Amino acid sequence: MSSPSQQPTNKPDLDESINVTKAHGRVDRETAATAREERLVDNGHEPVSLWVIVACGIVLLIAGGVLGKAGTLFSYGSTFQEGYVRGKAPGAGDEGPVAKTALAAFSGKGAKIYSKCNGCHGADGRGDGANYPSLAGSKWVAGDTQKLAMVILNGLQGPTSTGKVYGAGIMPAQGAGMGAEDLAGVMTYIRNSFGNASGDVVTVEMAQAALELSAARAKGGPVNAEEIAADHMTMLPGEALDPMTLVNPATLKPVE
Amino acid sequence: MSSDTSTNPEQDAVLRASIDRSLRHPVMFFLTSGAAWLAVSIILGIVSSAKVHSPGFLDSCSWLTYGRTQAAHLNALVYGWGFQAAFGVIVWLMSRLSRQECRASGLILTAGHIWNLGVSIGILGILGGFSTGMPWMEFPVFAWPVILISYFAIVIWSFIQFKVRPEGHVYISQWYLMAALIWFPWVFITANVLLHVIPGNPVMAAGINAWYKSSLIFLFFTPIALGTAFYLVPKVSGRPIYSYSLAKLGFWSLAVIMPWAGMQKLTGAPIPYFLPYLGATATILFFIPAITAAVNLLKTAISSGDLVNNSPTLRFTMAGIVGLMVMAGAAVFLNIPGQTLELSQFSMSGYGFEILSLYGFFSFVMFGSIYFIVPRITRREWLSRRLIKMHFFISIYGIVLIALVAIFGGIQQGIGQEEFGKSYITIAERTFPYAWAVTISWIFILISNVFFFMHLTVMWLRLGRRSNHPTLLNTEHGHSPHGEEGDIDNCGPGSASASAH
Repeated sequence: MSSPSQQPTNKPDLDESINVTKAHGRVDRETAATAREERLVDNGHEPVSLWVIVACGIVLLIAGGVLGKAGTLFSYGSTFQEGYVRGKAPGAGDEGPVAKTALAAFSGKGAKIYSKCNGCHGADGRGDGANYPSLAGSKWVAGDTQKLAMVILNGLQGPTSTGKVYGAGIMPAQGAGMGAEDLAGVMTYIRNSFGNASGDVVTVEMAQAALELSAARAKGGPVNAEEIAADHMTMLPGEALDPMTLVNPATLKPVE
Repeated sequence: MSSDTSTNPEQDAVLRASIDRSLRHPVMFFLTSGAAWLAVSIILGIVSSAKVHSPGFLDSCSWLTYGRTQAAHLNALVYGWGFQAAFGVIVWLMSRLSRQECRASGLILTAGHIWNLGVSIGILGILGGFSTGMPWMEFPVFAWPVILISYFAIVIWSFIQFKVRPEGHVYISQWYLMAALIWFPWVFITANVLLHVIPGNPVMAAGINAWYKSSLIFLFFTPIALGTAFYLVPKVSGRPIYSYSLAKLGFWSLAVIMPWAGMQKLTGAPIPYFLPYLGATATILFFIPAITAAVNLLKTAISSGDLVNNSPTLRFTMAGIVGLMVMAGAAVFLNIPGQTLELSQFSMSGYGFEILSLYGFFSFVMFGSIYFIVPRITRREWLSRRLIKMHFFISIYGIVLIALVAIFGGIQQGIGQEEFGKSYITIAERTFPYAWAVTISWIFILISNVFFFMHLTVMWLRLGRRSNHPTLLNTEHGHSPHGEEGDIDNCGPGSASASAH
């Protein structure tokens, strides 16, 4: 560029080879805009207005309130409530009862059936300690499902899973009139209540298999500890169902 | 201060003039190509907004469907206009503040062309249907390394100039500009690597995307505009920054608070529970850096009120600062969980807030700086004060309308969405007038910018006024406070040396 600062400076001002007016004119042309610029002057130190401080304080309070609602770091429970079931949209057509998860629906059905059982085993499932055994924590309730199904359908003679013989001595068979859905419900309920938490669902298909097995037993009458140990320490056949699947609580069929 | 110097005012003016001359090609390239992308973005904005209320508009061509035009519109606005205007201002301002001529203007110009190539391919990719579907990151995946590399090639020279600056003092504008120059690659690399190179859980990817968008606004466009305003306001008014310590408070609160913002857009999503609240808190707290800076600049400018009215630079810049205050209020109002956040989360509030920050605040400050820089690098004055006034007022109408839509229309739409039992058409009816308002405001902004584009083209062709007087809005060219007018190339009675101070 042809800035005047690059002009030779060792020549006297009045040297004939420099036209002073012309050189000045070039400076003027180059700096027409910059020469009229104001300069950035010293830093100001004026006091801050009170209302700015007050407004910022109010916003800090609001922000603090928002942060206060954040709860604990990863509280998924606040976003996803336990047992949440999506409600039916108001005004939607009648599509039957509100869907529930399989675990809730089967247990709900089973809880009604259990009213037959609570005369002996008690509403809390803990028996009475002398005549009737507890279902809470029982090894025959938890674990493999086939032994529990056989006890319910055929009754039990003699010692229980703990080896103790209770005062009643015999549990009568409960299978009369019990359909596969009822059996599936009550087994799911017992296995997930009173402190038991198997977390799985006994499906209708498994319960149907249990009814067939029970009908095909060689000897009738109640089962006993030896028969359970010999024949029934196994899961009922059938495909497992994700306990969080949404099902229709009346039909126990998965909803679309 | 950066202009405390042992040289006399005339030598100082010569130095500043030589800095301006050394930068004329890259800066003018960024400003003109940025303006061209602004035109593209506005037209795409009108097309995509019109489809919201008139779905049959231009529906025969897949290139012009809403999903493509809306994405192309925002990406052209951000990467085409926003970044290039920012580059022009950064390159010029860092040279001025570091008091050095630019020695790499050819390389910057080349890198600027590569940036434009990346943006062009990206926009064509979006329109052709190769969008990634991530807001503000819709460019096809191969575009981001091109953009990143050309970014570094453009700004590295500003880092070098800052490093070898002659004086120890760092002016507040340099704080903001340097911070933005460092924050952008951090944000850009983090988001692109986490989303494109080592993709993780898709829910968290949406969160990272929301954080990226928020960070571009709060950690790039905001500090660039604030740094520019902190230069222009004292420069034009000749007043010191009202309170320099308040300016530093504004800078550090921005630096500490704003990286946390963004994830409030995922309220209710299965991401760690505290993240949306943290994002909402940080966005609400944007009020503090914004208001401290805005009050500081307003107090600096208010003592020369006539000048704000008269100088195109100050008028646009101060309008941008008012836009910043509205944006700060909206950041508080729209992000309160349990009250307004649910209403603004999935409504047009988000878009409105983005346009408020990109146009109502950032672009206005950029226009202010363009009205300051272009006469200096072209050595021609703006041709017509009427063109500038038209640009200003019609832009104001457009952005005020969009701000109203952002704040009230979005809330209305949100209330409609909350009534989930009602059919979708009721929400659409609630939103309908606001959708029209968005289209109308984009048409306003288009008209205002037609004046700007014409004016800038004239300046680019060096057909501006050959005068030593600036173009002021309320003063006839001949009756300027700078004394008698003279031809810039014909040193007359009112020439710079006659009125030098």
